[in-house]
Amino acid sequence: MITQSDLSPPQPVTWCKGCGNFGILAALRKALVGMDTPQHKYVLVSGIGCSGKVPHYINLNSFHTLHGRPIPVATGIKMARPDLKVIVHTGDGDCLGEGLGHFVHAARRNVDIAVFIHNNGVNGLTKGQFSPTAPRGYVSGTSPPPPGAPMEPVNPVALALISGATYVARGFAGHQASLVRLMQDAITHRGFAVVDILQPCVTWNRVLTWSFYNGHIFDIGEDGHDPSDHSAALRLATAGGDRIPVGLFYRSDAPTLADGLSLPESGALADHVNDLGLLQQVLRDMQLE
Amino acid sequence: MDISFNIGGMAGQGIDTIGDMLTQVFVRTGFYTFTVKDFESRIRGGYNFTQVRVSDVPVHAPVDHMDVIVALTHDAVVGPRPRLVDGGVIIFDDTIAFDDLEPCHFPAPLSRTAKEVGGSVRMTNAAALGALLSVVRFPVDLAEEVLGHVFARKGEEVVEKNVLVAKRMYEVTQERFSGECRHDLSTVRCGPSTDRLVLTGNQALALGAIAANVKWVSAYPMSPSTSAFQEVVARAHEFRIGTLQTEDEIAALCMAIGASYAGARTMVTTSGGGFSLMVEALGLAGMTETPVVIYNAQRPGPSTGLPTRTEQSDLLFSVFASQGEFPRVVLAPRSIRDAFDTAVRAFNLADRFQVPVVILGDQFLADSSMALPLIDVSTVRVDRGVLAGDDDTPYLRYRLTDDGVSPRAFPGEPGRVVVASGNTHLEDGHITEDPAIRDAMAEKFLKKVPAIRDALRPPELYGSEDADMVLVSWGSTWGAVREAVDLLRAGGQSVCQLHFTDLYPLRTALLREVLSGASVSVSIEQNATSQFAALVSMETGLMCDHHLNKYDGRPMTARWVVDRLQGAGIA
Repeated sequence: MITQSDLSPPQPVTWCKGCGNFGILAALRKALVGMDTPQHKYVLVSGIGCSGKVPHYINLNSFHTLHGRPIPVATGIKMARPDLKVIVHTGDGDCLGEGLGHFVHAARRNVDIAVFIHNNGVNGLTKGQFSPTAPRGYVSGTSPPPPGAPMEPVNPVALALISGATYVARGFAGHQASLVRLMQDAITHRGFAVVDILQPCVTWNRVLTWSFYNGHIFDIGEDGHDPSDHSAALRLATAGGDRIPVGLFYRSDAPTLADGLSLPESGALADHVNDLGLLQQVLRDMQLE
Repeated sequence: MDISFNIGGMAGQGIDTIGDMLTQVFVRTGFYTFTVKDFESRIRGGYNFTQVRVSDVPVHAPVDHMDVIVALTHDAVVGPRPRLVDGGVIIFDDTIAFDDLEPCHFPAPLSRTAKEVGGSVRMTNAAALGALLSVVRFPVDLAEEVLGHVFARKGEEVVEKNVLVAKRMYEVTQERFSGECRHDLSTVRCGPSTDRLVLTGNQALALGAIAANVKWVSAYPMSPSTSAFQEVVARAHEFRIGTLQTEDEIAALCMAIGASYAGARTMVTTSGGGFSLMVEALGLAGMTETPVVIYNAQRPGPSTGLPTRTEQSDLLFSVFASQGEFPRVVLAPRSIRDAFDTAVRAFNLADRFQVPVVILGDQFLADSSMALPLIDVSTVRVDRGVLAGDDDTPYLRYRLTDDGVSPRAFPGEPGRVVVASGNTHLEDGHITEDPAIRDAMAEKFLKKVPAIRDALRPPELYGSEDADMVLVSWGSTWGAVREAVDLLRAGGQSVCQLHFTDLYPLRTALLREVLSGASVSVSIEQNATSQFAALVSMETGLMCDHHLNKYDGRPMTARWVVDRLQGAGIA
């Protein structure tokens, strides 16, 4: 239904040459072109950082919000217009630093949105400071010397799993075919879908490089992981060691946030009108005799 | 007739229940009431009170004195004694150990009567009501007509028993109360009032929002705003309104902004601390021109301050909150009825000018209640502002127009892409750092302001603009200052009140006229730094001659205003 040319970038892309974001944007375009939802039914919501610029490089309805806040803005959009597919593009600093609380609460609410985390271990746009997913000891302009970042990284897959997300996956910007599939599944999934997308920051990150990822990732689907097994998913997510698992960790069905709110039985909240006759009756009934 | 009843005791003892019943008796028999609640930030214990002022003319503020007190604890017998008028009465349960009896004290068998006649000490509330009515000699036949209704919520058998308890206590009081009450209502008949809709300020605000077609309200609980949110939540199912208690106020406002971008009318409810967390998102609403209504029920700050008390100290914060510059509206309802209308106006202003609108209430307004005439919602008009037509292609969310307002569209329409950005953006919503566009977009904001100002309500002048003295007030202190003007004029003073509900952008024409005409001007505010007077000064260069400031967290009264004016030699 959507063609590549429908999605042509409204603006020239400003990411660095070789940035992992190109792979993520290419995968998003392929994912949308390969699905049957019309273009006007998508809304893309982003935060701040290099990932936050995605809305300007693909022709879709969009809301470029604040640092850390795309998830609550996306939640509001989805509640007002449940017929729209709402996709969040966020970074590791955005989603797991400023926005960590929103991420956890949106997961436990099972808000029906897809969240794509551009995870490169650095705050790139502000010139390479260690991010919440930087490994312990990562040296940057703001890590205390020595020994570098004095803390463990956030584990977005494990966090999503224990917070109640009902679709949890990890992709890699360099593996287009599987990333496209994960994105499509996340977008069509009914519930809170997270894809933690590994991407190198070619300018700042000398550790998490293209060759590092190519040498360390392995696909858990090929290893026979059962995505309905939450415990197994959590074990994989927290296993540690040299190898980095990618693929679909977990998928389940659960009530979404909209199921638990008093939204209109048909049609969108945004189009619904409060019944003034009913309100007049309410006010009459509140009167003392 | 102007009587102040005070029911005091610990939280959880039924103070509210007695106050509500008393209010109902007088409202149902045609009198005007004004009820304030004074409570501590605790779930049980302490010293709290409900004050019910009853009058045969409309009253819009509490009073400092007390005519009849029902005390449910020893502290409530002793504490308010200095505020009791000569000829006042303090009724308390005779099981409370208190020996310093004066003629004003009436140890009454409240709990004993409840137990003996009703079979349960829980009917002590009904006994207290009977004693209160008896002390002021409220006609028993008039009371009988309404007592059944007052207890009606409790079920048939219990209703009957409560009525019996109240009546028995009424008789016991007639027999045993030997003191003198300065009020004797034995000859009153039904009063003149036909107002029967008893609402708090927060309820009125929430119902106004529903009338204005609010479809999404997200909030984090914070006194004294919470009951406004609860009022919407209680009605969310029948009206189909999306409501969510969020993880914090940041999420609350961000969700409201998202839902508004998608086409719903949205509101958040909070107090100053929560508004502090919202400030970043306030700027997002400003930059993305996304309409949203923010209700801030103020309490004394900074920080946690006094969580259950009242103040007007977030005015300049509301006017200046956020980095950068953008148009906004700040409104402050003057009364409970006005809270309803203010909510409706706020949504229309937000949509029409695509700006955030802050409504400044406060704990006094939020928790006070009075009976209103039935509100006719058929007069409510919803103005969504300029919407994009089908021929508006290619659609530009931030199209530059003569008045700065761009036609709005919502995502989800074929052939139209709606792009919003908190970064400086082009007409199409995509980001830019072009200096000429930056200028154009800043000027787009500036262009909206004159039209916003014209759409706001001018200040209300009470009394003659030729008066020697003008009292300048804003928001919920309207009733107290108005009553002070009445008192001063009755004493022969030449005085008027200039009252503002619409604070920013400030309308200045009448202000200039009245301030320059009066020989003495006095700003009266419930804050320590005369914030409104500072705003007036900033906008007009005019200064008030004197400033009255109340910042103890308790509601303003007419007597306070008059005493302060006289004490300072101004009046």
